Amino acid sequence: MVAPGLTPRAAGKARWRGIALVLLWGAVALGALLLLAKSVQNSGDFSRLQPWILLLNLIGVVALTALLARKLIGLVRDYRAHVPGSRLTARTVAIFGALVVAPLLIVYLFSLQFLNRGIDSWFHVEVKQGLNDALVLSRAALDLRVREYSRHTENLAHSFLNATPEDIAERVYDERRATGALEMAVFGTHERIVAASLENPLESIPTRPPPDLLRQVGERRSYVSLEPQAGGEYLIRTAAPFTDAPARRDERYLVAIYEVPTQLAALSEAVQHAYSQYGELAALREPLKSSFRLTLTLVLLLAMLAAIYGAIFFAQRLVRPVQDLIEGTRAVGKGDFGTRLPLPSRDEMGFLVHSFNDMTKRLRRAREEATRSQQVVERERERLAIILARLSTGVVVVDRVLTVSIANQAAGAILGTDLSAATGRALPDLTAGNERLGQFVAALVVRFAAGREEWREQFDLDSASGRRILMCACTPQPGAELGYVIVFDDITMLLQAQRDAAWGEVARRLAHEIKNPLTPIQLSAERMRRRFLGSMSPQDAEVLERATRTIVQQVETMQQMVNAFSEYARAPEMRITRFSLNQLASEVADLYRSHDPRVEMHLHLDEHLEAIEADRGRVRQILNNLLINALEALEGVESPRLDLTTRAEQGGDARYAVVTVCDNGPGFQRELIGRVFDPYVTSKPKGTGLGLAIVKKIVEEHGGRIDADNRPDGGARIRVVLPVTDSTRSAPGVRERRVELRREIV
Amino acid sequence: MLRVGPFNLPSLFVAVALAAGCATSHADALDGVLEVRSAYVSVEGGVFLLHARIEYPVNPAMRDALHDGVTLIVDLETRIERERRFWFNADVLDLTLRRELDYHAVSDRYLVRDVRSGTQKSFATLEEALADLGGVDNWPVMVEPQLTAGSYRISVRAGVRRGRLPASLRALMFWTDDWHRVSEWYTWSLPG
Repeated sequence: MVAPGLTPRAAGKARWRGIALVLLWGAVALGALLLLAKSVQNSGDFSRLQPWILLLNLIGVVALTALLARKLIGLVRDYRAHVPGSRLTARTVAIFGALVVAPLLIVYLFSLQFLNRGIDSWFHVEVKQGLNDALVLSRAALDLRVREYSRHTENLAHSFLNATPEDIAERVYDERRATGALEMAVFGTHERIVAASLENPLESIPTRPPPDLLRQVGERRSYVSLEPQAGGEYLIRTAAPFTDAPARRDERYLVAIYEVPTQLAALSEAVQHAYSQYGELAALREPLKSSFRLTLTLVLLLAMLAAIYGAIFFAQRLVRPVQDLIEGTRAVGKGDFGTRLPLPSRDEMGFLVHSFNDMTKRLRRAREEATRSQQVVERERERLAIILARLSTGVVVVDRVLTVSIANQAAGAILGTDLSAATGRALPDLTAGNERLGQFVAALVVRFAAGREEWREQFDLDSASGRRILMCACTPQPGAELGYVIVFDDITMLLQAQRDAAWGEVARRLAHEIKNPLTPIQLSAERMRRRFLGSMSPQDAEVLERATRTIVQQVETMQQMVNAFSEYARAPEMRITRFSLNQLASEVADLYRSHDPRVEMHLHLDEHLEAIEADRGRVRQILNNLLINALEALEGVESPRLDLTTRAEQGGDARYAVVTVCDNGPGFQRELIGRVFDPYVTSKPKGTGLGLAIVKKIVEEHGGRIDADNRPDGGARIRVVLPVTDSTRSAPGVRERRVELRREIV
Repeated sequence: MLRVGPFNLPSLFVAVALAAGCATSHADALDGVLEVRSAYVSVEGGVFLLHARIEYPVNPAMRDALHDGVTLIVDLETRIERERRFWFNADVLDLTLRRELDYHAVSDRYLVRDVRSGTQKSFATLEEALADLGGVDNWPVMVEPQLTAGSYRISVRAGVRRGRLPASLRALMFWTDDWHRVSEWYTWSLPG
């Protein structure tokens, strides 16, 4: 991911387009402003264009206002929608705007004030008065001349009344030269020239009198006018009729044109110019003010709008990397370490963005590394779990308060409970209803309480379900407070096998060592009796007779015993046939039912139990021994009862035949319960103590198993499980186990 | 509230409104008839001479303005177009006869000045000056070689405006145009 919504190239393009737009707009606005300023400065070319420049500026103001409004609306929308960075943008814009607008407004207001006062001060009352006074003075000075010339013309005209035309012509010439007039002419009726004299020798005809002059002299009144000329000179045109008496019919009149002295003319012209200029400006005072105000306002609006727009633009540019950072941080927060932000610039913000990119890169690498490590750990864990599951040794890992963190299948099997769901639970909490586990935990607690952390010991767990001997080792886990690894093996079978082997050896030796001397002892006793019985007194003969009989009887008993040992120690030689276990059980039961009619014997035969493959004779011996054992236990018991049950069971792929013999006798003694199948373990006053040992031996030879316990409602129960088929019995596991046991024994 | 001297923030808007308001206010400075009464062209020696009679407005406001020193520019604009049947007329020439009218306070006379030739005439009254301005005779506008076959259309109109405006006011005057009037075009055809 790059910047939200933009590829780096598109972002760069957009940035350059934005900058170009701003520069272009700035140039246009600045150009328009400069043109406006130029046009105000009375520059001919620009003043012609001024309306258009003003219009351009107005359009600029409108356009800028529209752009600004758009930006502001966007800004407000973002602010309300809590878009990341909008608050920072708004604050920046507000600060920039205030910083720009406040001084601009102050300058504007002061400028307006100064402008008004400045313009007003140009038109000061005293200036106006001074100009008026100057005008009056000029008029007075010129009026003096005008009157003088007018009077002179009048006098001259009156003096011409009775003169002859020749005199008039001559005097006109002389008078013109004398007075310095530019022209002097006498006109008659219908503007006929009577006499004329002109200063300019190139002109021969005097200037035609203007209409108002004609009108006035027609009314027999003198005429005088002060006529300003194009070059700044003044002419005084005077006219006077020869006579002002209307009764006379003389219509002649004298026209004289004088020039005002140059200095006076120049001064008067200067006054006129100043007066005219001032008047013109004064008339334009208000429009002038308005014009300056308009220009100033336009400049202010343009500058202010541009400044605010610029503030928004730059605030957004400034905040954009921050927005990118916020988006990027959110993405990283959601776990997307692939976020890469575009570098905004080479300044501190750029450095920050660069650092962010660097950080995400490192985070990504770290996460990949962690994932790899986790996978390795996971693989190791799985491998360990497989090893633990396949181990026949129980492994339990607990912490200091015996909370289970790891427990393998074998541990559960050995402790007689399901530990698959024990993870996270304290071992003491799992002991309810499980005596063996309870003893195990108690043994652990005792050792840990004693401060022992590393030990290897044998636990003897004696419960109602049998005796178990565990070889248990404890090692503290590496690391201070982690806990302990407890490893244990069920060595009950091993010890049993060792015991069996030892007994086998004893039996074999007994059979060998004892059997041999028994026959000579018996023969010797019989010989002694035969030889000395007849030669003895009847009393001695009776003693001998009793003694030798006792010897022979005891030797026979010893022989039976030795035979039993021999039977126990004999190497198995199986004759496997297929027969019905139910039928065999019935036969044996019938045999013993007649043996002691007091005992209630019940047969529970599973009709689904198929024929089994086994050594029929030995299985019969099993049943015999079990029933004998039970019947012996029932001696002296009130209402004795014996139950023989057969049942078919499915265990995994194999089928098993289960034979259970229960009685309501005193049951096994608790301390013997784990060793009832050992030779010479018996609580009965008579018997070899080999019955159950032989049963166990035969059962194991058939690949079956046997266990003994006490029934909850009293009495003993022995349960024999035999595989139905010989192939099951020969299953590798069983065979291996047997081979292993043999090896241990050897 | 920000207060600076006699101004406050609303005064800004007042100023803007004033500036805008000037555009709509109308003084009666050039009220009165402004019309080209008659005009014709005569040809003398291959030169087309224009003769026209124009009535210019006269009123106290105008007189006051002149007395204050305002110069009025009096234009007579002549436009000659060649008529085309299926298209816009083609401009042949566009001439303006420009004269200035102002009041000379020292001599108490009205001056009429031809801007191009620089000649100047003075009159005792405004009416006389306007009468002089209203009679245009023998104004050479064109020579015969400028014309080709076809019919022509001659238009004349008169205009009065305040002259010698400070440049800074031109723009404003563009909108507050009570000192600028032109008459309707007086148009006639010159058959080919």
